[in-house]
Amino acid sequence: MRKNEPESEQDIQLYEMMLNRRRWDRLQGYMAGITVPFICTLIDWPLRHVLGPASILMTYLLGVFLVASRYGRGASIIASLLSAPVFAFYFASPIFSFAISDLENIIGLGVMIVVANVTSNFLERVQLQAEISKQRENRANALYRLSQALSDAHNQQSVAGIAVSHIYDDFGALSVLLFPDQEFQLHYPSDIPLEHSLRGVDLQIAQQTYQQHTAKQTSKSTGPIAYYPLERSQTIQGVLAIESPAGADLASPELITFFDTFLNLISQTLERLNLTEKANNANLQAETESLRNALLSAISHDLRTPLTRIIGAGTALVENNADFSAEEKLDFNRVILDEAQRMSELTSKMLDMARLTAGEIILHQEWNALEEIVGSALNRLEKNIGTRPIRTLLPDHLPLLWIDAVLVEQVLTNLIENAIKYTPAGSPIDISAELSASNLTVNVSDYGFGIPQGMEEKVFDKFYRLESESHQGGVGLGLTLCRAIIEAHGGTIQAANQYGKGASFIINLPIHEPPTLNCFEEMAS
Amino acid sequence: MTDEIKPLILIIEDDQQTRRLLKTNLCNRGWRVIEAENGKNGLSLVKSDSPDLVILDLGLPDIDGISVTKRLRQLSDLPILVLSARSQEQNKIMALDAGADDYLTKPFSTGELHARLQALLRRVMRTINNMETFQTGELTVELARRKVFIAGNEVHITPIEYRLLSILVRHAGLVVTHRQLLKEVWGVEHIHDQHYLRVYMGQLRHKLEINPARPRYLQTEVGVGYRLVDDEEC
Repeated sequence: MRKNEPESEQDIQLYEMMLNRRRWDRLQGYMAGITVPFICTLIDWPLRHVLGPASILMTYLLGVFLVASRYGRGASIIASLLSAPVFAFYFASPIFSFAISDLENIIGLGVMIVVANVTSNFLERVQLQAEISKQRENRANALYRLSQALSDAHNQQSVAGIAVSHIYDDFGALSVLLFPDQEFQLHYPSDIPLEHSLRGVDLQIAQQTYQQHTAKQTSKSTGPIAYYPLERSQTIQGVLAIESPAGADLASPELITFFDTFLNLISQTLERLNLTEKANNANLQAETESLRNALLSAISHDLRTPLTRIIGAGTALVENNADFSAEEKLDFNRVILDEAQRMSELTSKMLDMARLTAGEIILHQEWNALEEIVGSALNRLEKNIGTRPIRTLLPDHLPLLWIDAVLVEQVLTNLIENAIKYTPAGSPIDISAELSASNLTVNVSDYGFGIPQGMEEKVFDKFYRLESESHQGGVGLGLTLCRAIIEAHGGTIQAANQYGKGASFIINLPIHEPPTLNCFEEMAS
Repeated sequence: MTDEIKPLILIIEDDQQTRRLLKTNLCNRGWRVIEAENGKNGLSLVKSDSPDLVILDLGLPDIDGISVTKRLRQLSDLPILVLSARSQEQNKIMALDAGADDYLTKPFSTGELHARLQALLRRVMRTINNMETFQTGELTVELARRKVFIAGNEVHITPIEYRLLSILVRHAGLVVTHRQLLKEVWGVEHIHDQHYLRVYMGQLRHKLEINPARPRYLQTEVGVGYRLVDDEEC
């Protein structure tokens, strides 16, 4: 396949130059074929008395051989055919006549012509073979490059981009990949057209190709376009449309095989991507399903427990009010208040979860100070903290962080709340931060019993709860949410046990170049 | 707020149970209460009865809370406390920016409600009395002389820091949104430059707080704004 419609003026010039050069090469060959015998004659003429006719014939043979090796068969035949009469005229007696009296000379000439022919034939075959093996190498390289590039592709668009650019590089043809939508209708890609993308494709023919699984061709005024189904084991992934059909211009079946391999590689990649996507979707669906079920059972359990107590205390107060002393009534009221507060906490947690697990987390990032977020989280938890010592070790002059403060505050609140819940009353909690070149590390550590060995990653799993904490309220989503939030910020969160301490949660957040303050003090006065 | 002139509070809330609870609570505290179950009635009650304070629920059936806030602000300068559900975070901030003075997230305790109402009524008293000195805990701000003291020792603060602090003092005990602060200190063209606020509030905290990561006076309301704690509150 060659590039059959040179588009720009530059292309046309290049194309003409190539044609000219090939013509010039051939012309040069013929010229050489004509001149070389005469040059030999010029060299041999002064030496005709020293050299015998056999030696002189050898020089002609050498000349023909050189022409053959440089310009190929055509030129060498001209040279050998011309050498014969020239030799006969100048060197073979009788001199200055084309007649040859000497039998030896006739044989010599015959041998020369045969040798010239055989060598030039031989040389040409060697050259051809070299060319073929070079071409094969190029194709092997091209296939290797393609498969390399395709192995990195992670979606249809990237496959299309890779395929189109490789087809252009290796076949010099514009092409486009068409993929079906949900209703199996082929469409032009909706994104920005690629540099070597083929335009003006007949979607109807492409659709036929897609439905019938057979390659089709058109010959339009704009140039013929071929449509190939991209299929593997009966499942069709799309259609490749390419200008200038393989086959029409292809001389060798080898090129067709090459092109088929190309197509095969592309189809294979598309199939792989398709299967991965299907598997992922199935996994996701199963996960959502089990998530929903687990959430439902956890919620109904966790809401029912406080409700039972509220209803119990409430009915007691309403139905047997007169039987209770003032102190007992206050007790019942306290139960109602405590349980209602637990329910309130639980429902707000569940609201957060619903919001965050419903889809991907939407970040409202702004420049925020860690100090403020820590302060706010601690303020929010004031009641839970009570008199427990909280040590905050934040270095001065921390850079502002490009984060969603509400969500990061939620992470800190969850971590501190956990520390309060699962460590002995009165044991301290440390919140520290450390700055490195590209990261800010925030550490929330407690002095409790730590996390059981080997469970450091497990605690981030959905619905995971340590055995010892099953009596505590909560659904086991807190840390899962923390991780989701931190990862949405491009950071990491890990759990560890610290020697001599309890559990430690380590958050790494990326540092961004903070904006400059282009307003200085003099503005305010 | 003496017993002779009991403040009149208007509750605009569509849920009857919540209204009942609020009324019982406020009457117990010696406040007079009038009620409206929707925005329209609420607005006409403001015109006819001129209450001292409005408690406004953001999820009204007829007019949305933000529009009610805007119209209330056109009518008068009376303090507005908005009640918001957790799902209305954004509305809450919009209501504050539209002129509401503070907010409470449902569910709230009576303690929180009283603290907010006290702070709001104090704000009114301050504007009337033209306060000269503000004091909370060990922090003293002499508004006339533009001087700040911690435990009697003067703290040197820059003009921008002082402007931030004075706005917070004016709204002591109440939340002031990021937008409000940015607008008042740097001007309307800077209302999105939150980093200015972070930097200067940080400086103020480091000058006024013993532990800036656990501030006693300058509290952060993440996603909303800042609040200067008013000690008389409790």
